[in-house]
Amino acid sequence: MGRIADWLDDRTGYRALTREALEEPVPGGARLRYVFGSVLTYLFMQQVVLGILLATYYSPSASDAWASTAYIQDQVTGGWFLRGLHHHGSSMMVIVLILHLLQVFVAGAYKRPREVNWWTGLAMGGLVLAFALTGYLLPWDQKGYWATQVATGIMGSVPGGEPMQSLVQGGSEYGNLTLTRFYALHVFVLPLALAGLLGLHLYLFRRHGVTPPAKMNAEELARKTQPFWPNQLFLDVLAMFVTGAALVTLTFATHGAELFAPADPASNFVARPEWYFLFLFQLLKYFDGPLTLVATVLLPGAVTLFFVLLPFVDRSESRAVKKRGPVMVAMGLVMAGVVALTVIAMAHDANDPKFQEGLAQAEEDAERARELAKKGVPPRGGTAVWENDPAFHAKSLFKENCATCHTLDGRGGKEAPVLTDFSSREWLIGAVRRPLDEDYFGGTKDHSTMEPYGEEGLPDAQLDAIVEYLVSLRGDTKVDAALVAKGKTLWEDEFDCNGCHEVEAGVDGDGAPVFGGRGTTAWVERVIRDSSQKDLYGDAAEMPKFEGKLSDEDIRALAELIVPPASAPEK
Amino acid sequence: MSVPPESDERPLASTTAEGPAHPEDVPSEERRKFLKVGVGVLGAGCACAVAVPAVGYLAFPLGHDVTSKLDAYLPAGEAEAFGDTPTKVDLYADRVDAWNRVRQVKVGSAWVAKRDGKWLALSTVCPHLGCAIDWDGEAKLYTCPCHTSAFEPSGAHQQGPAPRGMDELEVKEAEGLVQIRYQRFRQGLSGKETV
Repeated sequence: MGRIADWLDDRTGYRALTREALEEPVPGGARLRYVFGSVLTYLFMQQVVLGILLATYYSPSASDAWASTAYIQDQVTGGWFLRGLHHHGSSMMVIVLILHLLQVFVAGAYKRPREVNWWTGLAMGGLVLAFALTGYLLPWDQKGYWATQVATGIMGSVPGGEPMQSLVQGGSEYGNLTLTRFYALHVFVLPLALAGLLGLHLYLFRRHGVTPPAKMNAEELARKTQPFWPNQLFLDVLAMFVTGAALVTLTFATHGAELFAPADPASNFVARPEWYFLFLFQLLKYFDGPLTLVATVLLPGAVTLFFVLLPFVDRSESRAVKKRGPVMVAMGLVMAGVVALTVIAMAHDANDPKFQEGLAQAEEDAERARELAKKGVPPRGGTAVWENDPAFHAKSLFKENCATCHTLDGRGGKEAPVLTDFSSREWLIGAVRRPLDEDYFGGTKDHSTMEPYGEEGLPDAQLDAIVEYLVSLRGDTKVDAALVAKGKTLWEDEFDCNGCHEVEAGVDGDGAPVFGGRGTTAWVERVIRDSSQKDLYGDAAEMPKFEGKLSDEDIRALAELIVPPASAPEK
Repeated sequence: MSVPPESDERPLASTTAEGPAHPEDVPSEERRKFLKVGVGVLGAGCACAVAVPAVGYLAFPLGHDVTSKLDAYLPAGEAEAFGDTPTKVDLYADRVDAWNRVRQVKVGSAWVAKRDGKWLALSTVCPHLGCAIDWDGEAKLYTCPCHTSAFEPSGAHQQGPAPRGMDELEVKEAEGLVQIRYQRFRQGLSGKETV
């Protein structure tokens, strides 16, 4: 082993390099507050490794992105955990970034001769935010899609920003090119840029050394100087470990990252950015019209400019905090503003029942979509996952087989009765009042014998009773018994309905269909099979028979679509 | 201009090149050892948080059917369409491919012919290294375009590096259709073994 190491050292000189790295002097001695840069480097490297792992299953196309993310999240061994680490890792980076920034700021480390290092740090901070923004879209779920729409929308709303927006999102609308571009930025451009800047940052850091406490004099600094190894390195690694442990804990506690339902451009999702952008989100609420620019460009731009020009704004000779009152106050105001806006945004959402409702609905949709995705997502794209839902299948059966004549939920023909809320009390009332209307039997051939019953001949109160009686006839137990009894009398005696309509086959009156049991799921199923049976529509049946044309399951599914079995036909 | 404003810091580098300036700051050998082990353990802990789950994650396809197993008989065409001369048919099936579930997607193809009154279906996948085998109507041989393996009309190995004859697929005739049970077999072996 030793000889191999000697050989390698002879060819590479790695020992000298390691020694130089480990023995870098830390003037004034090791300090916990110097750890943030190392922790950020660790987090970045971990994000890179996790990103590569995610890329082994993720597919950046509008039709695949959500499905492949759901696959990672819910099917691949440990996928939820690694994705969770990557997701929370970005939050962690933002937190440590802020701590690092504050530490550097308080230490006055932006001052001469470290101005360029301050700028590379600021640029890297911007890159971390760009990582967050581009990564957020990649799962192509509702949250990422809608939140990113806002971000690119802002880009398009600034003067001259439209071509810029089209360039970034690859066209005037979101689609495959948006994802491939964001993906290329997120996994190639940004990591390379960050790695390059990090190299420069570390080089400059080594060149100028740590910024020691301002209160120590030269003699004290020299006396207390320690090499990087072992004390500072140990503190750095300890801090990394604590950060890593916090990440793992957070990931377990949340079962990884969220994944909402697939991006649906037709839905209305309660879009919120990630927590560290909430202050900008909140800021947008205070400005409208041409003033929007204040929130989107001017204020963030002014703060950025303040940071960039800080080395020139703060011209005090000393790095001591007490001698830098004005900039400390300015920084305090910026931080207070950001925190206040974030808190307001969070409090507002927490107390907004509409938002909470929307969020609950979104979470419910997410759970259903992900459950359906386990069967495999049809290749048309994320939203095609709903096709795995039995109700969706029934709807497409309806469209193919029934919609030429029947209307359901506003779509279809009028050659036969509308089936929306079929046989509900409301539907039955309409059938008595307007039997010849297109919505009922007006469009059906040879079904014009029943005369409409108007308000003057049949008052509402009486009609309600008759309808209640009809509802009871199909075995519905949720009825008003007194009303049923009244309805029965009206039906039999006053209006002599059973002169035409049979209630029990072959017992009273004649004429089809028999009303006993009419309107249940099973009854609809029989009608779909063969409506010309004697107790259904008999010789007057106009509807084609579907027995043999559709499978038993499909007929059942259609019947359940028209009359949901559990709820009965009431809405 | 040339005087660094923090000249108080810079000289330290030279005084510490051989180690800390003051011997009392040198950690004891025992402490150094403790810190060294500490750095190693904590660092390994950080690495393991990702590395350990990554193993199971990357190996996921080894223990799971990532694509759906093909086992059912698939319709190849009407019986009259096939005669003594081999015809290539594409076979379609519903298939799960990782996160996708695709209806009626092409899953493979077979050469179908009637020989001695019986159906013969041969997989187009060469048992050597998986190239797609052609039918040479002039030579009356199946030939592989990659490594010059050739096979008799019966599928038997005739020449070239292929370790066995072409893989025969199960055929049946139902409802007037020739149906083929499409399967894939391991390559490079002298015996047939389903994948």
